[in-house]
Amino acid sequence: MSGRVIVITSGKGGVGKTTTNANIGTALARAGKKVVMIDTDLGLRNLDLLLGLENRIVYTIVDVVEGRCKLRQALVKDKKNPNLCLLAAAQTRDKTAVTEAQLKEICEELQKDYDFILVDCPAGIEQGFQNAVAGASEAIVVTTPEMSAVRDADRIIGLLEAREEIKSYKLLINRVRPNLIKSNDMMSVDDVVEILSADLIGIIPEDTGIITSTNKGEPIVNDEKSLAGKAYKNVARRIIGEDVPFLNLEDETSVMAKVKKFFSGLVGKEK
Amino acid sequence: MKDIFAEFYNKVIGFFRRTEEAEESSKDVARNRLRVVLLQDRTNLTPELMEKMRKELIELLSKYVEMDKEALELNLEQEGDQMALMLSIPVLRAKEESEIESSEKEEKSSSDDAEDNSESDEKTDDAKEDDSDADSDDEDEFENDACDCGKCSKCNPKDKQK
Repeated sequence: MSGRVIVITSGKGGVGKTTTNANIGTALARAGKKVVMIDTDLGLRNLDLLLGLENRIVYTIVDVVEGRCKLRQALVKDKKNPNLCLLAAAQTRDKTAVTEAQLKEICEELQKDYDFILVDCPAGIEQGFQNAVAGASEAIVVTTPEMSAVRDADRIIGLLEAREEIKSYKLLINRVRPNLIKSNDMMSVDDVVEILSADLIGIIPEDTGIITSTNKGEPIVNDEKSLAGKAYKNVARRIIGEDVPFLNLEDETSVMAKVKKFFSGLVGKEK
Repeated sequence: MKDIFAEFYNKVIGFFRRTEEAEESSKDVARNRLRVVLLQDRTNLTPELMEKMRKELIELLSKYVEMDKEALELNLEQEGDQMALMLSIPVLRAKEESEIESSEKEEKSSSDDAEDNSESDEKTDDAKEDDSDADSDDEDEFENDACDCGKCSKCNPKDKQK
């Protein structure tokens, strides 16, 4: 078996890299794939929190690199899903504690036993980014329909294109707000895709459920009612190779939105 | 319920506002600003360099036309994969041939001085060529003027001979 190594990156912080990682990982594991997630954000680890695994971490990636434990020992199994595990970042060390070559080696080792290795990349374009990308052959660039996030995504795409080992990269547009797009106060998915001219792998709507799911340490894909959860599950299916159409966010919003739509229909055909 | 009325109110107000003036939406502003900034990011053409290029173009073009220098626009634009420099020049009037010639003569004499200094040790062939070019068309004239840069195609053969 030779698993696929996918780095999840964005340039800008706070656009939802870690949330994306936790949810795609969980969704892939739910689909029966063997998945390992690597948090490479040394000193600022968060993936453990999103998965609710913060109290189970004994060894980190730095312990593996420095020989204090075997790779297998450092992998923390998910509470619910035996197909899913996490290699946590060290919270007390900085980005220099692990090198590109070491990360590459870890990825190669994990490829033997897992279908998917998801690498959670730190924000920025410095060494932390270079390390995270080192072992990967695919990338998911997370952005939001905001100027700063799109600009940073463009930089990241430039850097990914310059790296030979990255064979393909896909765009995931997060925190999309259909109402703002409708009122022309937010760039649409099409605008962002056109500006970055990259292939799309997912459109995730803004969802307050993300906050509560983070509070509970439970990825939102486990919530069957959540629209964002559904969108993340679709991303996972596309990664596996299924042809899944993108959600039409305008039609799929809540009952309240439908009521509003009814009223705005009565108001008239203003454009 | 409050939300519905708030939205209704906004829509009515928004409808009248929009009929008053077709204002650019904040999304369009964002998209256009982003396009410009990304082109700069991708090409390393800073606003300073663009301004320099704009000034030099004005200088060059004012030899042939009188234009509204303030309104001259120089923008980088992207069409698909192709990057393009778009130059928009509001022309007030084209210059008379005699005007162009006289400005050329001025330029020629000053640039000849410069050439004499820098190329005094060059072969006389080049000087002869320059003379014959003097009555040929403007484009050649321009290329000759610009060729003491040492980088353009006109200069290279000389450099190789050296």
